[in-house]
Amino acid sequence: MTENTEPARGTSLWRDAWKRLLKNKLAVFGMIVLVLMVIAVAIGPAIIRWTTGFTYDFIPPTSDLVKSFPPSLEHPMGTDEQGRDLLARVLQGGRISLAVGLISTIVSLLIGVSYGATAGYLGGKIDNFMMRIVDIIYSIPYILIVIVLLSVFGGPNTFGWITWLSEKFGGAGNAGMSQIFLLFFALGIVSWLTMARVVRGQVLSLKNQDFVMAARATGVSTPAIIFRHLVPNTLGPVIVYATLTVPSVMLSEAFLSFLGIGVQPPYASWGSLCADGVKNLAIFPWQLIFPGVTMALTLFSLNFLGDGLRDALDPQTRKF
Amino acid sequence: MTQINFKQVITVFVVFIFSLIVAGCSSSAKTQFWGKTQPPKANVMRYVTGPEPESLDPHIPSGQPEARIFMALYDGLVEYDPRDQQPIPAIAESWETAPNLDEFIFHLRKNAKWSDGKPINANDFVYSFRRGFRPETLSRTASLGYFITYSEAFNGKQYFLQKDGKFVLMNDVAAEPHEAKPIEPFGAETEFRKFIKSPERVTLPNDPLKRSQAVEANPKLKEIFKFTAADLKNAPTLTAKIKSSGDDLTKFLAANLPPAALTCAENCTEAQKQSLADGLNKLLDTESLFAQAWFANFAAPENSKALADALAAENNKRAAANATIDEEIAGLDDDAKKAEKEKLKKKQIGKLFAANRFLLEETFPDEIVPTPLVLVKGEDIGIEAVDEFTVRITLRQSAPFFVGLLAHQFFRLVPEQSVEKHGRSWTRPQNIVTCGAFKLKTFKPYDVLILEKDLNYWDAENVKLDGMEFVAVEDQFTRLNLYKSGEVDAILNHSVPSSWIDEIKQFEDEYLNFPENATSYYSFNVRKPPFDNPKIRKAFSQALDRQTLSDSRKVTKPLFYYTPTGIFPDYDKTMEKIGEEVRAEKKITPDEWAKRNDFDPENARQLLTEAGFPVEKSGSGFSCPSFPADKVALTFNTNESNRQIAEFVQAQWKQNLGVQIPLKNMEFKTFLPMRNALLYDGMAQSLWSGDFMDPYTFLGLHYGFPNDGGSGFQDDKYDKMLDDANSELDPQKRYDMMARAEYYLFDKMPAMPLTINATNWIKKPYVKGLYPNPGTLHPWKFVYIERDPAKWDKNVKNIMTEKDARVEEQLAKLKSTMSQTPVNTE
Amino acid sequence: MLSFIIRRLLLIIPMALLVITLTWALVRLAPGNFYDNEKNLPAAVVANIKEKYGLDKPWYEQYGIMLWNTVRGDFGSSVKNPGRTVNEMIATHLPFSATVGILAYLLALVIGLSAGIIAALKQNSAFDYGSMSLAMLGLSVPNFVLGPILILVFSLWLFWLPPARLSGFSGLILPVITLAGVYAAYIARLTRAGMLEVMRSDYIRTARAKGLNEKTVLLRHAIRGGLIPVVSFTGPALAALLAGTVVVEKVFAIPGLGNIFIQAVFNRDEPLILGIVAFLSILIMIFNLLVDISYAFLDPRIRYE
Repeated sequence: MTENTEPARGTSLWRDAWKRLLKNKLAVFGMIVLVLMVIAVAIGPAIIRWTTGFTYDFIPPTSDLVKSFPPSLEHPMGTDEQGRDLLARVLQGGRISLAVGLISTIVSLLIGVSYGATAGYLGGKIDNFMMRIVDIIYSIPYILIVIVLLSVFGGPNTFGWITWLSEKFGGAGNAGMSQIFLLFFALGIVSWLTMARVVRGQVLSLKNQDFVMAARATGVSTPAIIFRHLVPNTLGPVIVYATLTVPSVMLSEAFLSFLGIGVQPPYASWGSLCADGVKNLAIFPWQLIFPGVTMALTLFSLNFLGDGLRDALDPQTRKF
Repeated sequence: MTQINFKQVITVFVVFIFSLIVAGCSSSAKTQFWGKTQPPKANVMRYVTGPEPESLDPHIPSGQPEARIFMALYDGLVEYDPRDQQPIPAIAESWETAPNLDEFIFHLRKNAKWSDGKPINANDFVYSFRRGFRPETLSRTASLGYFITYSEAFNGKQYFLQKDGKFVLMNDVAAEPHEAKPIEPFGAETEFRKFIKSPERVTLPNDPLKRSQAVEANPKLKEIFKFTAADLKNAPTLTAKIKSSGDDLTKFLAANLPPAALTCAENCTEAQKQSLADGLNKLLDTESLFAQAWFANFAAPENSKALADALAAENNKRAAANATIDEEIAGLDDDAKKAEKEKLKKKQIGKLFAANRFLLEETFPDEIVPTPLVLVKGEDIGIEAVDEFTVRITLRQSAPFFVGLLAHQFFRLVPEQSVEKHGRSWTRPQNIVTCGAFKLKTFKPYDVLILEKDLNYWDAENVKLDGMEFVAVEDQFTRLNLYKSGEVDAILNHSVPSSWIDEIKQFEDEYLNFPENATSYYSFNVRKPPFDNPKIRKAFSQALDRQTLSDSRKVTKPLFYYTPTGIFPDYDKTMEKIGEEVRAEKKITPDEWAKRNDFDPENARQLLTEAGFPVEKSGSGFSCPSFPADKVALTFNTNESNRQIAEFVQAQWKQNLGVQIPLKNMEFKTFLPMRNALLYDGMAQSLWSGDFMDPYTFLGLHYGFPNDGGSGFQDDKYDKMLDDANSELDPQKRYDMMARAEYYLFDKMPAMPLTINATNWIKKPYVKGLYPNPGTLHPWKFVYIERDPAKWDKNVKNIMTEKDARVEEQLAKLKSTMSQTPVNTE
Repeated sequence: MLSFIIRRLLLIIPMALLVITLTWALVRLAPGNFYDNEKNLPAAVVANIKEKYGLDKPWYEQYGIMLWNTVRGDFGSSVKNPGRTVNEMIATHLPFSATVGILAYLLALVIGLSAGIIAALKQNSAFDYGSMSLAMLGLSVPNFVLGPILILVFSLWLFWLPPARLSGFSGLILPVITLAGVYAAYIARLTRAGMLEVMRSDYIRTARAKGLNEKTVLLRHAIRGGLIPVVSFTGPALAALLAGTVVVEKVFAIPGLGNIFIQAVFNRDEPLILGIVAFLSILIMIFNLLVDISYAFLDPRIRYE
């Protein structure tokens, strides 16, 4: 197996999968929704600001405007109890929710894949040891980890790079923003565990196949075997699993917001907007309906896309 | 996949959304009452009491949820009036107050019994009070009772000091000793009263370092601690031990004591002993002792290791602090500032003569007589059983409001028979003995506490309910749900979230919005720039439109000073009267005076500019680029309403001062120690619920240090003003003095007043005898369930003034025993 | 095999101790103390509290004491609710979580399995797409949204069921449904996928070829094979359900383990946190072990030495 023949084979495999994916209407629907959603949260806030002047943190200065209004032409999704435009908040919340999902997924891809592949390939005692570490981290309630991270490192003694990041994005001294980055970090820490298990399982079944034997026989180094031969072959399940990690991490963030330790004001995420909205469900239903539907639609699309990808990448389970 | 199926997916989605919208919009027609309104089947009141009670031991928890449970389970000397919260008789039928307001005699009723049938007498109170202050009890509310003579010393394991077999008195060491006043007669004369009313003894902290600092602060006291020849009971051995230079300590002593001090051998003279004592006194008192850092590498002698380690740690801490100051001095070029820092350094260094002495005492137990310190005992605190049914309480200072404080849970009775037998587990259902109107039936932790009427209760015939259920629910919305679905009959104060108030307010007979004995404010960290400057504090305070804030909060009222208006009507009038006087003294026009803390953005900008942070006009708003907004933050604990207030205030500052203060949201447990230790920059959210019905409960927040104000503020003049006011016998004059103190405090502005809180809870119309008093503390024996819908609360104008015949009759009967003992006011 | 099980069982002890150590460190790192309250406690009172709970000792001594107590299984009393031991609290609150959790899982099994099997048999039918979309929706709506919606409809508008607290059977209905929703969705999807895979496998084809009727093929062969993924999902899911699900317990004010654990975390109730974490981690590890063992039985290719 030489370097120049492999890509050609690979490409056709991917192209096949892509074709199959395009035939799956639900997956296509999911993809379109996701693309639209990403565009909306990316440029939406700027458009609203430009047309109506509302931002996610604008509280009207007069007391009779500081209350929750139902949807109107001025506020298409209504306002929250502080009189803030809900559309602006949903779009801003989308940025954070999608970023939470994306960043944790990247973390789980980077750490989870290499960790799982290494453990699976090396096997034996090392594998055993590495997987027990995963078990241990699994057993520590992650709410404790989040609280400790947010409280110990959320203060003046936060990590330098987090301060740097939050200043880049939210301006100097922005405590809310640095907490969001800590949240990304905290969710990332726990999100790679399942990925590591999945990849390890894959590698276990792959490592005794011929192409690995051949690579070993020709004297390819262990890291090269793991990352150049084994990891590319696990990509199918990894991509599928990654698409499913996004919704589960978004739900974890929503859960933390529900407990009051997630995203902090004036920022919002879909989870925190839902958590706020559900409290006022009986009197201000729009506070739940709009963020809830937006979030459900996104998760829905992600799940469909994940399903579609699984069908597309794994011809075995293809429908007959 | 076919097109039809894809449509079905969309249909499912649309149906879901649609049903949600329909669900939301189908608002039911307005009814008279909110949700299901049906009296419970049993004659049992079901009340949501808040989160899980920490403990059923009234001495331990400090929260209000527990307070309301304790009011059902335990009785005390007095009880709160259900409406105005003034003390009414409970186990004490009547009481007398000493002329100078620092002694009280309570006459107990003779038919009071525990739930196990044992009669209650004066000794139960003595036991209960002593147990509350006992250090091992770990009471978190004990400081409320520190007015009681020596209770603080007992609670803090402090010591009395003896000299030549007699106790050292405060007067002995006071800078200006005064004549001891004769003890005025009040009630039966007993040995105990002679002791407790005798001149106050010196009390010293338990911790040797703190004790030493206390000694250092008082030269006369320090004199008592100096070694005398008599203290050295075995001078020759001591001299020999020092000369042997066995360990670091003796080496140090040998090297630094003058040779003349080390001459004592067998049968040495008094003079030789004295010179050793003098030598030690001098050596241990040199300021350079710590500067030499001789404890830093000191191998501690075996029998005084703990103290030596503590001293070494203290020494290192001070050395580090001084190093920082030295650095700061090096960076300064202004001589005046340098001198100021030097002074600070000197203060840092301080001396620890007494601690050094304790170290020697512990190291040489056979040679040096230990300082005669006597641990303060429970028997020393100011409560006495004069006879079987008479209790006398003695305070260390005048406190006119003290009887009102006695209805607090800390002063309610705990059963000696059970506490002594079972220790900490006395509150378990099988061990607990109570003395209130209700007794424990079933306890389901984190769910419900079920009580039943106690037939042994002295007033059982007037207890109208057969039982009580205290439901523990953490979440506000779950509480509302339980109420609306008719599962509970009332929910505790502050249970209606602000977003729901407009909805619930319509049910006027259920929603209770009345003035509350509680305020919200933002503490400034007055020990850190920029808020160490009162002008800046004032600027931020004036830049806030309080009226709009409280309007948007719906139930609160704006707070302009520190004491809430509407709770103490006489004090409100006094504030107005004294305000006029203060205004005249300051020569301010009435207009300006009226705007003093009202919204005045113009003046706020002016003040901030004067303080060195010029506010500029920029576009339609303002900006203040020089203000270090990124160095401060407005910190609050995670809570919906705190968050909304903070966001509002933040927006106001931005609009009126052009300063964007970052918000910092913290989980409660992280927030509290941080605020109390003044580790925040800028401002921190504070809320205070008054402990008793007197303005002092609010003014005392900023009294002394450490205090509960959360701002780091300390002002001797203010403390003195309050002390003077509290020893004033005439109530009106006392109020005058307190009002003056409040205006003084206002000028210092350690905290920025925000809102006066209001009661914010609901009860079903069939629950009667339950009133929204200023602390929402309900004596449950007045509560009953009205089964006749005709008699339910319907269109009641003001539940506080509406007289309920059953409650009135019961109250009148109770109060009839309250003999109006004339207070001697000649 | 037996030696594998014994080795893994023995391994649980040091692993649990490591989990406890890390948890302890996390609790200690988190700022705040259980005794903090609105009111500033006098320094002397704080000193008394520290002395009583041994907080004045050096950290390594405290750690040693904690570890020794853990090994003995004695976590002492909760510091927030003095007078109640941690073991007693776990014993009191576990049954609430377990009742709701097991009932919810049974309900989810019934709904999920039947929906999954029918969907697989009638693949690409309206039922298939309808139920699978519903399942997807179930996975996309957080518990804390579903619960309140059910409460709103059934407790506050119709007054049929209590909105919170486990007062009798009627109190169980809403939390069980809320909790079952997500699991039913999961199981339905797993069952459908598993069934589809099995249905086109060789042995089913063989069975059909042998001329067995469709009913026998389905009941004797297809369902058994299709259930494997559901079985492996059951292990961790049951462990999580037994331990209580924080959201549902919070929404319905159920005094379960999850609920008191969250409150213990916010209250910094160290002994209670450690006790629950120790209990849960051992539970999770045992369930993981069971899953590993069951793989060996379900899939002969996997072998443990």
